[in-house]
Amino acid sequence: MKKFCFLIFLFLSINSVVAAVGAPCGDYGECDAFKPQLTNIESLQLGALTFINHCYGCHSLKYSRWGRISKDLDIPEKILTENLVFGSDVKLGDRMTGSMQSAVSEGWFGIAPPDLTLVTRLHGSDWVYTYLRTFYEDSSKPYGVNNMVYPGAAMPNVLALMQGQQILSCKDVPIIASNGGVRRDEFGNDITEEKCGYLKTIEGSGKLTEQEFDDYIFNLVNFMTYVGEPSRSVRERMGWYVILFFVVFTAFSYLLYREYQKDYH
Amino acid sequence: MTQQSSGIFNWINTRLPISNTYERHLSKHPVPKKVNFWYLFGALASVVLIIQIVSGIWLMFGYENTEEGAFASVEYIMRDIEYGWIIRYMHTTGASMFFAVVYLHMFRGLLYGSYHKPRELVWIFGMTIYLVMMAEGFLGYVLPYGQMSYWGAQVIISLFGAIPYIGESLELWVRGDYYISGATISRFFALHVVALPLILIALVFMHLVALHEVGAGNPDGVDIEKYLDEDGVPLDSVPFFPYKVLNALVAIGVFGIVFSFIMFFFPEGGGYMLELANFEEANPLSTPEHIAPVWYYSPYYAMLRAVPDKLGGLLVMAAAIAILFVVPWLDRSKAASIRYKGILSKIAMTMFIVSWLMLAWLGTVPVTALRTTLSIIGTVIYFAFFLLMPIYTSIEKTKPVPERL
Repeated sequence: MKKFCFLIFLFLSINSVVAAVGAPCGDYGECDAFKPQLTNIESLQLGALTFINHCYGCHSLKYSRWGRISKDLDIPEKILTENLVFGSDVKLGDRMTGSMQSAVSEGWFGIAPPDLTLVTRLHGSDWVYTYLRTFYEDSSKPYGVNNMVYPGAAMPNVLALMQGQQILSCKDVPIIASNGGVRRDEFGNDITEEKCGYLKTIEGSGKLTEQEFDDYIFNLVNFMTYVGEPSRSVRERMGWYVILFFVVFTAFSYLLYREYQKDYH
Repeated sequence: MTQQSSGIFNWINTRLPISNTYERHLSKHPVPKKVNFWYLFGALASVVLIIQIVSGIWLMFGYENTEEGAFASVEYIMRDIEYGWIIRYMHTTGASMFFAVVYLHMFRGLLYGSYHKPRELVWIFGMTIYLVMMAEGFLGYVLPYGQMSYWGAQVIISLFGAIPYIGESLELWVRGDYYISGATISRFFALHVVALPLILIALVFMHLVALHEVGAGNPDGVDIEKYLDEDGVPLDSVPFFPYKVLNALVAIGVFGIVFSFIMFFFPEGGGYMLELANFEEANPLSTPEHIAPVWYYSPYYAMLRAVPDKLGGLLVMAAAIAILFVVPWLDRSKAASIRYKGILSKIAMTMFIVSWLMLAWLGTVPVTALRTTLSIIGTVIYFAFFLLMPIYTSIEKTKPVPERL
């Protein structure tokens, strides 16, 4: 049994090495952590609103249906059809196929905006959360913006009005010595050097403060995480009951096994 | 009422060997009384087989085997079919768990010499099951038709093309088209849900029939048939039912906890069970940066990549599986179990485990010069373990095997 545990340990440690390979968020490095709150209905509703208003014009959620969103997010049918569904012929059972024809959008952007139903599962919610917050002004690009996570992204910064102007700036950062500590001069002050490539928002240029904008994107990505797997919160709740069942099952079968084992020991 | 039902039972029993079969294979089937947890993975493998068959049938209710519809139909199962997600995750988790328990089961065989005379055929049927499982798993992985389904299939099918003379026609024949298309999906579907499961079930049946003919082994490698009571039943045995069934039940409980923990909380297995790139529909025009197989093929994929030549890689990979079939004749040791084998066998076994795990890791990460070197070293150790087995098992000094269990 000891050897078996050792093997499992070995396997897990190999896995953690694998996980550390490569920077997942491009020039940004490690992605900012995102922990979804799939039972926070208010956040999901706000996220859905943001998605429909700012994303759905170009991106579809073609594997999802309107009715499912209405049911899961507690949005009454009437409110949904009046405020979120644009188009009188759309029925609740319809898939959310988007409002733009891909041939048109391909002409505009050079590439059809991808369907986003599964984007949080494909790249991870962390990635999407970081991506949406790392657009910066870059006059060399057709839309005047570039992205740190996905350089050269063919998408304008549709939320610039909310976030305000974000630029790349330089700042003085402490020099890290080879032993991992901060390098200091003879008076004990940190030695710094100027480094560039830091994101900076120009204060007051957007409708939201930095914190408000982060929350705004949080709700949006929370909704997108939900859409990626609508049954996830049910799955995680149900899982504990199933495990509890097996724990009880194991306990009783062990007692029975032990009782019968007395016959031959 | 009881009399009547026993009358019906007798009527059937004289026409169908119910009592005989029950006694022979369950209530009177003798199994060694002292075995350890390593002997439970066979029972677990049969449990997973049942899970896969049942969940597979339910998946077929919603799956569409066409190029246009395959990917969307999987999302349809995940969203629109009530509890479809349970069925799907059960099947995907089941696939990984099937390999996990089968690998542990096979390792038990190597550890305690379960292939020793007279169990050679049991081992060979088992290895054939493993081979069919590998094909079954590959075919199943193509069906959701995500990016990794497509490009994984591209890599594997192109291997056929490396075979001299017939390669290209063989590749075309397997694919059913000049590129991976609806024709490929529908034939893979037929093979995955009908042909290979039938073969698999037949092989499992043969594996069990052969096992019940020669009897199960034990961690000491003791031949329990030597000491029998007056009825001809081995003294160191207990009947399979209820004793071993209860033991298996405890194992199923523990396995259920592990299985549901993964299925309900980590269905993607960190990208090793459901690869994240597969959440994007297959796109023949865009190759993923890094094509990796799911974890259970990765040791062999690492071997394939370790050899620069495509045909050479294919041969090495095929040989790595083929060599497992002849293990019963490579092991010349007097002792079956590692417990009584000599130090050489123990060193060889340790190196084999390390190299296998290292190859498993290497198969999942992108290639670098260092990793290629490591893959070559791992492959050499893997083969050395088997090819040198006749030598180190015959020259080493074994400890005496006890008479009784």
